[in-house]
Amino acid sequence: MLSRRVLSVLALALFVFPALAVAQSTGTIRGRVTDAGTGLPLEGVQVSVEGTRVGAQTAPDGTYTIVGVPAGPRFVSVRRVGYAPQRLAVTVSEGAAATQDLALGRVATQLNEVVVTALGQTAQQRSLGTAQQTVQGSTIAETQRENFVNALQGRIAGVEVTSSSGIPGASSSITIRGISSISSSNQPLMIIDGLPMDNRTMNTAVLASDNNSTQAFSNRGVDFTNRASDLNPEDIETLTVLKGPEAAALYGIDAASGAIVITTKRGKAGGGLQYSNSFRLEKTGAKHSCKRVYGPTVSTTAAGLTSFSYFGVPYAPGTVFYDNVDGFFRTGSAQTHNLSFSGATTDGRINYRLASSSDKTVGVVPSTDYSRINLTGASQAQVTSWLNSDVSMAYTYDNNDQVYKGDIGPLIGLLLWPQNDNAKDYLTAAGTRRLLTTLGAGTEQDNPYFNIAKNKINAKTNRILANVGLTFTPMSWGNLKTNIGVDNYTNTNLILRNPDSQVGNAFNGMLELADVLTRNINVQTLLNFNSHQLSKSLSISGLVGNAISDYRTNADALKGQDFLDPNFVSINNTNQRTSKTTLEQRRLIGAFAQAQLDFKDYLYITGTGRNDWTSTIPKGANSFFYPGVNSSFIFSDAFPGVRRFMTGKLRAGYAAVGKDARPYAYRPSLQYKTTSNGGYGYDFWGPNLALKPEFKKSFEYGTELGFLNDRLGVDATVYRSTTTDQIVNDIRGSYATGFVLFNLNGASTRNTGLELTVRGTPVLRNAFSWDFQMNFDRARGKVLSLPHALPESYVSDTWLYGNVRNGTEPGLSTMSLTGMYYLRNKAGDILIDPSNGLPLRSSIFIDRGYDRQPNYTIGLTNTFKRNRLSLDFLLDFRRGGDVFDATDHYLTTHGLAMSTLNRNTPLVIPGVLKDGKENSATPTVNNIVIVPAVQTAYYTNMSEELFIQKNVNWVRLRDIQLSYALPEGFLGTRNASAFVKGTDLFLKTNYRGLDPIVNGNTAAVGGSGGTGIDFGNFPMPRGFNFGFRIGL
Amino acid sequence: MKKLLAAILVASVSVSYACSDYLDVNTNPNAPQSVTANLYLPPMLHWMVTSPQYDGRFVGHYTQEWYSTNTASITPELTWGRMGYDPGSDNGAMQWRDVYWSLGQNLIDMNTKAQAEQRWDLLGVGLLLKAWGWQVLTDLHGEIIVKEAIDQSRTSFDYDTQDYAYQEISRLLDSAIVLLQKTDGAVNQAYLAKGDHIYNGDRTKWLKVAYGMRAMMLNHYSNKAAYNPVAVIADVDRSFASNADDPLLTYPNANPFDDYNFWGRSRNNITLYRQTQFIVNLMNGTQFGGVVDPRMSRMLSPAPDGLTYNGVDPNLTGFGALGTAQQPNNFFGYVGTGGLGLPGRYLFDDKAKIPLMTYSQLQFIKAEAALKMGDQATALTAYKNGISSHIDFVNARNLDNNQSPTQITATEKANFLASPAIVPATLTLSHIMSQKYIAQWAWGHNELWMDMRRYHYTDVDPVSGTEIFRGFSPPTNLYGDNGGKLVQRIRPRYNSEYVWNAAGLDAIGGLAADYHTKPIWITLP
Repeated sequence: MLSRRVLSVLALALFVFPALAVAQSTGTIRGRVTDAGTGLPLEGVQVSVEGTRVGAQTAPDGTYTIVGVPAGPRFVSVRRVGYAPQRLAVTVSEGAAATQDLALGRVATQLNEVVVTALGQTAQQRSLGTAQQTVQGSTIAETQRENFVNALQGRIAGVEVTSSSGIPGASSSITIRGISSISSSNQPLMIIDGLPMDNRTMNTAVLASDNNSTQAFSNRGVDFTNRASDLNPEDIETLTVLKGPEAAALYGIDAASGAIVITTKRGKAGGGLQYSNSFRLEKTGAKHSCKRVYGPTVSTTAAGLTSFSYFGVPYAPGTVFYDNVDGFFRTGSAQTHNLSFSGATTDGRINYRLASSSDKTVGVVPSTDYSRINLTGASQAQVTSWLNSDVSMAYTYDNNDQVYKGDIGPLIGLLLWPQNDNAKDYLTAAGTRRLLTTLGAGTEQDNPYFNIAKNKINAKTNRILANVGLTFTPMSWGNLKTNIGVDNYTNTNLILRNPDSQVGNAFNGMLELADVLTRNINVQTLLNFNSHQLSKSLSISGLVGNAISDYRTNADALKGQDFLDPNFVSINNTNQRTSKTTLEQRRLIGAFAQAQLDFKDYLYITGTGRNDWTSTIPKGANSFFYPGVNSSFIFSDAFPGVRRFMTGKLRAGYAAVGKDARPYAYRPSLQYKTTSNGGYGYDFWGPNLALKPEFKKSFEYGTELGFLNDRLGVDATVYRSTTTDQIVNDIRGSYATGFVLFNLNGASTRNTGLELTVRGTPVLRNAFSWDFQMNFDRARGKVLSLPHALPESYVSDTWLYGNVRNGTEPGLSTMSLTGMYYLRNKAGDILIDPSNGLPLRSSIFIDRGYDRQPNYTIGLTNTFKRNRLSLDFLLDFRRGGDVFDATDHYLTTHGLAMSTLNRNTPLVIPGVLKDGKENSATPTVNNIVIVPAVQTAYYTNMSEELFIQKNVNWVRLRDIQLSYALPEGFLGTRNASAFVKGTDLFLKTNYRGLDPIVNGNTAAVGGSGGTGIDFGNFPMPRGFNFGFRIGL
Repeated sequence: MKKLLAAILVASVSVSYACSDYLDVNTNPNAPQSVTANLYLPPMLHWMVTSPQYDGRFVGHYTQEWYSTNTASITPELTWGRMGYDPGSDNGAMQWRDVYWSLGQNLIDMNTKAQAEQRWDLLGVGLLLKAWGWQVLTDLHGEIIVKEAIDQSRTSFDYDTQDYAYQEISRLLDSAIVLLQKTDGAVNQAYLAKGDHIYNGDRTKWLKVAYGMRAMMLNHYSNKAAYNPVAVIADVDRSFASNADDPLLTYPNANPFDDYNFWGRSRNNITLYRQTQFIVNLMNGTQFGGVVDPRMSRMLSPAPDGLTYNGVDPNLTGFGALGTAQQPNNFFGYVGTGGLGLPGRYLFDDKAKIPLMTYSQLQFIKAEAALKMGDQATALTAYKNGISSHIDFVNARNLDNNQSPTQITATEKANFLASPAIVPATLTLSHIMSQKYIAQWAWGHNELWMDMRRYHYTDVDPVSGTEIFRGFSPPTNLYGDNGGKLVQRIRPRYNSEYVWNAAGLDAIGGLAADYHTKPIWITLP
């Protein structure tokens, strides 16, 4: 319906416009563009003839040719991202070729740099009134991370990337400027070539097992890739992060948490064949130290072990121990091959780029791997003098094998397994699981070797991203640009719980299949108005636009239980099957406009406005408008006296952005019940017909300063945003309402922060240069209120270990942790149970000031170049922020942690007795002596509070790379280089667990999620890469 | 040209306005928002029978039906097993969930539709469900939310007294009895049968349930001056005539998990639970003059030798002093955690039917009422009916899925009923209540606990001088918060009330650490 209308509009345009083309006398402009600093040719420079629609890009040798230039005096404008633009006068004669060579200045001043902005436009840095930051695609590709999201940490101030684990294909979440939404996604919108790209992580809610509380994963224990990782990092030309809602106002609802704008590569004349590869070896670093002192708790009555608790007698001298942990991990490996062809016709009217990539990663944990194949084709053509077309198609196939994590994962199994038993010997003679205890297969922790061999989590994805763009330029004052994009993928999942395994035994095996079919269509039309001179010193430019989105996901899930043949993995081998379909559809319409006033190229005022219509908010409230205004003032140009010392810009911006609800959030629906004899009953969610959009209002102020001929630059931003009427999903209420959960407006949160980027080039000589960039980020998020004055809100999936969860309350950080912490008196002393000398715990979830939000983070990049050799590295610092080491708590309660070694030492827990005098002036100080070895409740009932490590700091070497450019013509190549590189080589932290970068859930969980909850998670391995790159 | 361009622009922008229905995609395609009245019924009937079993895991620790031997976890053994509770947990509040949510708005929608369509039979069942909900909730929790319940515009709720809850139950049952007698309007057995898989739409059977529920409710007043045993007996007599009237829920085992019997091995809920010495002693002759109950070998589990019947001691953890050879098998009849996919016993099978209430149970209620009014003859007949019909009930349950135990023969039954230790010349309360305990063991937890609380757990029969629940002794090491008192109620559901309705709880004293030991109104004089 919709797309037919749009197509007919486009068809109309195609038929009508040719009639407008009038024959003109034309000539040619050609020339060569070089780097003013080095004199080397510059490729990819956009050369266009003002007032016409013709233009070209330079080839790798720097040459360009523009044909069909209308004769007469013309201005040529020359732009390349990272350089200052230039404008030159050329006179074109009919049938003749004018030559125009030029040199582009590199860092005349960063203010003049051309950058990508919202909606795929480019602008000069000086005109921007809001903060944004760009990373070159080559930088991202060089990090050699298969999921490009992981390359961003530390490279952009204000961007926080959390990978769920070090397993290949693990999901990574990305947040910009902290957590503002308590329960919904805080991830930014991903934009590829102007249109949104789906970056969802599959939610386990679509699985058929999720309807059953004893089978549901609830986004724990399993993980799935975030879909942005389907993108081939080699295809990225530039990546720009729009941090605040100011710039993102133009992208609408989904960009309320910022936007990541990716431009993919296009062909250039003479591009030729480029090949690169990378080979990688991975080792896992940190290891939990496993204790070999005390043996398992032995029951006095039962024969054999009754648990994997270690409160028994010490192991006898001479006990044979097995190194179960060491033999478990393997050396991971990866290899990547990238091949691309690109080129353009000599007249520059048509260019193309074809690329393919293959990536295969074998993880350090056996049975984990991730492989991906990318095929990309892109072509631009100048169809007529007034019509440009741009087509890109990207196909991705990926195949990912993961293992369980958390308490059902192999890491906990490894740590728990008795050290005097050889875990590698995991099968009985009959080929079934070898059990050690009398607990039975459904209760005994899985042997880790059995777990990875017999359980299975596999996901395969086939994805096509197609984007067709047409630009009409029938007039000199502007152009009309339309993009239609389809993002279509099929994600096929298989999750096996082996009949013999702990997770599968109760069901005699369970196989789950889930096919997720996502089809997103986006249409965007922009009418750009070129700069128009209002007076001698004032000009105006702008755009109006319209965007239509249709998002649709259909998940077909099937669950089979009760295996006939325990080893044959097929749904046909199961006796009981349950199916479930989940269809989700959401539609959005947006209309927006932007106008920019430019006063003498030093004062810019930009106003934006957008109205959205969404399908997920009740009619009447589902249309909402939000404005934005920002300003940029180049004071060093306004006051030329200043320019002798520095260049400088001040900017200020305000914007609002609305946000809608998830689909089907406001009206309750019935659920087919699987209890006896079927029937219908309400689902958990109650009605909220008054649901309305939430609003985020944001202010930011910043400055960009350049010193010493821009060899030293500073970019500082402070911001403050407030979200009101925030929609909190799945918030609980009294069951007396008739329901369990509601989706309510009424929370408000405030985010404030400071971002500081300092860049510099301390050394710049012909043979040697040194560049650095430091990104400092401090973000704070605070909950101001909750709907209906409810005391606490939490995302239930994060209640994944013990009694700690990501609960937050008014006045607390958006990244707080609530728990059943120790009871204390007014003075803060722990209350002790007078009957046994052990501390008393709260029976409700309370706050004790825990906050996972770091005080600040710093990313520091340094690049050294000497002749053909270059060395760069990224150091990542973090200060503060709490991490819950649930793994350590688990080991302690099982008598395995080092801290349980002194269990025979009598002790008195510091605190006061809860004898009625605890809050008096003279509380009874606890003097009850306990011996932990006897009163094992000392360990087993220990509050998780003691394992939330406060103020976790780290320094880590994210990337270090040494590369060498081989001489031109080496072995007949046009260019060649080789590199060696290390990733995550070095971590220094006060965190006592394995790695403080953790997520106990997956990136699918909303709000602050399970970030900073470390339970049975494998950390990022250390990687060593080498490879080369050649062009033919 | 500008005009043309403007036209195109308008055309493309107007797409948003032209398709006014474009945004109408927010009707959930995965589930309906309303269905015919009878389709709401099956899940509610399921929960009416099954939900008490969920809470029975914990109530069964209070009543010493069973104890968990899972020493890896302190709950339920060291919490519920010591007459405490699990702080911060929703354990013991399944009925809270099901009355407010599984019934909740569904029941209101069903009743509204039934009333509009003059489906008096369905509406009668609906009111009976409503009464059942308040009955089990107030009996478990004391004060509950009745007047303000099922209101989505509220964020806090006031609690009503138990007195009020009982009045409301009475009112609802009276209305249900009127409605279930009606044959006019759109009363239609076939329509009701579509949602009613207990009686296949037979309203006369539901009418008997309503009388039975009223009898049970009235009998709870036994400690009060308002107690009216004549009314209790009259309602029992209008209720079930035999086991054939018992409302039994079948578990079709079609959907793995949810429609399996909660006590079946597949559900794995009580694999580590074991019978207590208390129930063993009621059946092995210890408490009844050496007469071994023929039901023992069909209901309880022997030690691995298949002959010895032992139970766990509530004051010891795990199996206590029992060696491996003495430890009772699991309720399915197997050693350790065995029995998956194998036949179970009694109610402990994937397909065993579970009753809402039974003829046998009502006969014991009649016996108690008759005894209280001094009518020995009526009491004795009802008492014998109670035991006899429960023996039949045990046999029937062991055939639901062709489980292994042999049937109790007519001779065994006759011999048992002929023993003076079981059926004495002069019946006492301790006979009635202890035998009622056996008949309700493992399924009738709500009523069983109400019985024990009415007799303060350890009351002594004034006539015989024996304990009313023969041989019952509460745990010696009571839960810390109890302050030495025995449990009288379960706290309202944690994640419904303690977290979100604390003010409402505070008004009834529900925030006190020993709130669960505060006696409920109905048991007070």
